[in-house]
Amino acid sequence: MKCESCNKKHATVHLTEIVGTVKKERHLCEECAQSINTHLTKIPSPTEILTSLINQVAPEINEMSKIVCPVCGLSYLEFRSHGRLGCAMDYTIFRKGLIPLLEKMHSSTQHVGKVPSRAGKELIKKNELMQLRSELNKAVEKEDYERAAELRDKIYELSGDNDED
Amino acid sequence: MSSQATTMKISDLADNTGEWLRGTGPESDIVISSRIRLARNVARFPFLSRANVKQKKELEEIIRDKIKDSDISQDLCYLNLADITPVDRLFLVERHLISREHAGGEGERGVAFGKSETVSLMVNEEDHLRIQVIRSGFELKEAWKTIDEIDNKLEKKLNYAYSSRFGYLTACPTNVGTGMRASVMLHLPALGMTHHIEKVFNAVMKLGLVVRGLYGEGTQVSGDLYQISNQFTLGKSETEIIEIIESVIPRITSYERMARKALVSESREQLEDRVWRSYGMLKVARLISSEEIMHLLSQVRMGVNLGIIKDIEMKTLNELFILTLPGHLQKLEGRELNSTQRNVIRASYVRKRLEK
Ligand SMILES: [Zn+2]
Ligand SMILES: [Zn+2]
Repeated sequence: MKCESCNKKHATVHLTEIVGTVKKERHLCEECAQSINTHLTKIPSPTEILTSLINQVAPEINEMSKIVCPVCGLSYLEFRSHGRLGCAMDYTIFRKGLIPLLEKMHSSTQHVGKVPSRAGKELIKKNELMQLRSELNKAVEKEDYERAAELRDKIYELSGDNDED
Repeated sequence: MSSQATTMKISDLADNTGEWLRGTGPESDIVISSRIRLARNVARFPFLSRANVKQKKELEEIIRDKIKDSDISQDLCYLNLADITPVDRLFLVERHLISREHAGGEGERGVAFGKSETVSLMVNEEDHLRIQVIRSGFELKEAWKTIDEIDNKLEKKLNYAYSSRFGYLTACPTNVGTGMRASVMLHLPALGMTHHIEKVFNAVMKLGLVVRGLYGEGTQVSGDLYQISNQFTLGKSETEIIEIIESVIPRITSYERMARKALVSESREQLEDRVWRSYGMLKVARLISSEEIMHLLSQVRMGVNLGIIKDIEMKTLNELFILTLPGHLQKLEGRELNSTQRNVIRASYVRKRLEK
């Protein structure tokens, strides 16, 4: 097989390009392959997909443009141009900009997979606290102050070692 | 976990390959391997792009120690990537033990992997920790079982960045949620030859899956090797994602088998000629480029699967895809080689392997 670019040398490089859903084959000699290699359309990497998505779904740029994460110092604009977040807190700080992006990317904005058992414990604790608080409210309403004091102590005890949130 | 003289360690690996290339397991005529990767970050540390030198070092130490403490596997060895040469890093990329990004990264970072090379743990890649399990053949469920256990063991020691809304928090929002990328590597020469591969891409993309080349992100397809993996990581559980991939693979493999059958019945002579010519080329050529060898190996591999060639083991062929890559050849020779030198050594190495 002759090289399809120079038509002189033997084609030893067989490339497959995927552009969207179309596959194209190219048969080239080593030299031609090297010289065009930089122009070859590659399969878009997740980063490239991400950058194009960011540009599509983040029109609220004005509103978000001044926001900077107080923890890691990343600005929303920096995130937009690099596609990488700086810390876990950014998911909260940039939430407004991220939600439409996640929706577009994953067709969902709610995790339903694995829960680390540590986080599981936190969730259980949170639920327990909520339960206790509503009981406390009821106790106060009923003017059952003995019960209320008991509940208050329990709440203090539980939330004391809770360094989350 | 040991960290012996690292160069020695890598040279020891150079003449063989990981267990996942042995060519066994379900559907292994077409499915080369099944791989799952989990992205995890440690809570209260910035992601790596915002971490300073000190924090990176601290992270590397913490994660390395916790990996050591969590008895994932007896024979894990740990390499600090900053301490090894670029050729060694390339070698590990070709081996699928680290990613290209990890190899080309900066600062304190490392990888722990077991002797069988089924498990690897990348420290300070794009995320603080990336766990990977690869198995031979179509075995995603088994890979998930293994990686889930490893993740559980590590999670007891490391406090992961996690939120109940967004799941495992990752540096790139394309990985958030499960942090899981599951992929299956397929050898589809007949679908390529008969130009039906686009139909596969269409079917796969409708399910929210993506097709990539041998080395993941943005890589060219060569040797008719394709990786199919999930794009979305949020909104579906790990098992659901695996089931979606698992549902599409048998359709692709039976499609490839149909295409092979059609080639055999409609153009047997041409097919046999192609296969034998490729085999002949591998046995006699004096210069073979890395692109050419992928093409030749692909043809021969299909020939072996169709019973046209009977005297090569599948394991040997699978291994040659990796052992003839630039990093491997340079490790084998123990020195840096330019592309012409590599082509000479590649050809002679293959000739030797096929003589046996
Ligand atoms: Zn040419
Ligand atoms: Zn931040």
